[in-house]
Amino acid sequence: MNVELTELTRRFGRTQAVVGVTLKAGPGVFGLLGPNGAGKTSLLRMMATVLPPTSGTLRLLGRDPDGYGPRREIRRRLGYLPQNLGYYPGFTVTDFIEYFALLKDMPPGQVPRAVAAAIEQVGLGDKARAKMRTLSGGMLRRAGIAQAIVNEPELLLLDEPTAGLDPEQRVAFRSLLREFGQRATVIVSTHLVEDVAAACSEVTLMDAGRMVFHGTPGELIARGEGHGVGDAPLERGYSAVLAAARS
Amino acid sequence: MTGWDDLTGGYQDVGPAPGDVDLDRVWLGVAAQVWRREPGPAERAAARLLRSPGLARALVTTPSLLLGWLMATVVILVAGVGFTLGTGTPWVALLAPAVAAAGIAYAYGPGIDPAWELSQSMAVSDRMVLLVRALAVFGLNAALGLAASAASGAAAAFTFGWLVPMTAVCALALAAATVTRSPNVGVAAGAAGWVITILTGQAAQGRFTAAITDSFLVLPYLAFAACCGAVVLFATRIPRGTS
Repeated sequence: MNVELTELTRRFGRTQAVVGVTLKAGPGVFGLLGPNGAGKTSLLRMMATVLPPTSGTLRLLGRDPDGYGPRREIRRRLGYLPQNLGYYPGFTVTDFIEYFALLKDMPPGQVPRAVAAAIEQVGLGDKARAKMRTLSGGMLRRAGIAQAIVNEPELLLLDEPTAGLDPEQRVAFRSLLREFGQRATVIVSTHLVEDVAAACSEVTLMDAGRMVFHGTPGELIARGEGHGVGDAPLERGYSAVLAAARS
Repeated sequence: MTGWDDLTGGYQDVGPAPGDVDLDRVWLGVAAQVWRREPGPAERAAARLLRSPGLARALVTTPSLLLGWLMATVVILVAGVGFTLGTGTPWVALLAPAVAAAGIAYAYGPGIDPAWELSQSMAVSDRMVLLVRALAVFGLNAALGLAASAASGAAAAFTFGWLVPMTAVCALALAAATVTRSPNVGVAAGAAGWVITILTGQAAQGRFTAAITDSFLVLPYLAFAACCGAVVLFATRIPRGTS
């Protein structure tokens, strides 16, 4: 298992962002769904080793991120796209991805080729020498995805990756996700149920910090049959599970 | 490799390629060479010294070495020296730690550094990056202070009494961190170095215990401690999760 969470909890003062989440994930694409404030980003940040849990245990890629050595090894093999991608405006797209490839401790000799491959994979070849400040929102998102995948991660964590992408780019991105899911654990936090329907083999639904559903997209659809609200079957399952959790 | 444009129809049809040539591989090799940023001599030397190309890149891309920061640093130093000369009070020595601490905290903390969140998830420790950049900041300030020393005695006292020792302490911290691969060891070495620097200075004047007992020094010590506390609080605070 690449991800093993046991009773994971995160508090910010009196606010409980994540409450007792237990989850195991091997290779595949996992969707993390939920309304605003459900705790998706906090959970993803804990898995990215950016945020320490308040309680519970967390094992990533077979290691405990509490120790300096194991944490460094996890981070070498991790790809992370935060919800708000920060960047240095004066960097070119290549500089940006290369910088993070080096900070991921990739062997310097492999970096230029890996950077070029990542840029091509997200279709930014014609913008490789463009400054980050000149990119559109969708292009910035793709540059963020490129830095996340540059080290061929075994654990890929993506927070709202399709925000700002047009429909055509979203289709291409889902295909990329499926490709990565064959050899890595990909966890995608999103509001868009169609992303989950198209690319994910399993779905976790969160509400108020708790995990209220875990299963396949088909199982989520089945929950909504007859009593869910929404245009698509998965949306009806989503709303039915949330309504049940809140009642 | 499946390219984004393969799926969105971005590639133009340019006719068949020879069967034994993988055009994707060839193109990637070319793109890697054309797009790559060739490290300069300073970056290559830093990579050897720090045993990390990532840290070297972080060093040469330090915002504090950019023109805007350089100008701000010069303005602060000139204003401080002017105040000192005009009023006869040691404002520069008192305010310098605060300026440096605030500068480092704001430039590389979660509030200002745009890539802070991403940096937190990298294999090269963000504390190592911070140490490297702190050394860059103090080294630059020391160089500016040395230049100003040619014109002003006050600047010389400030430079040799504070900036140069602080740069040395930072360098010591970074060296210890690099050798032990532990930023915590580096910080401990740096703090110990600073204490030794102060006590040695006092001992040289035959006032070894004055560093602790002289009430005149309480204010600067408190200011320095408050700045350190503020930096630590700011740098280690955990931003709220947004969802």
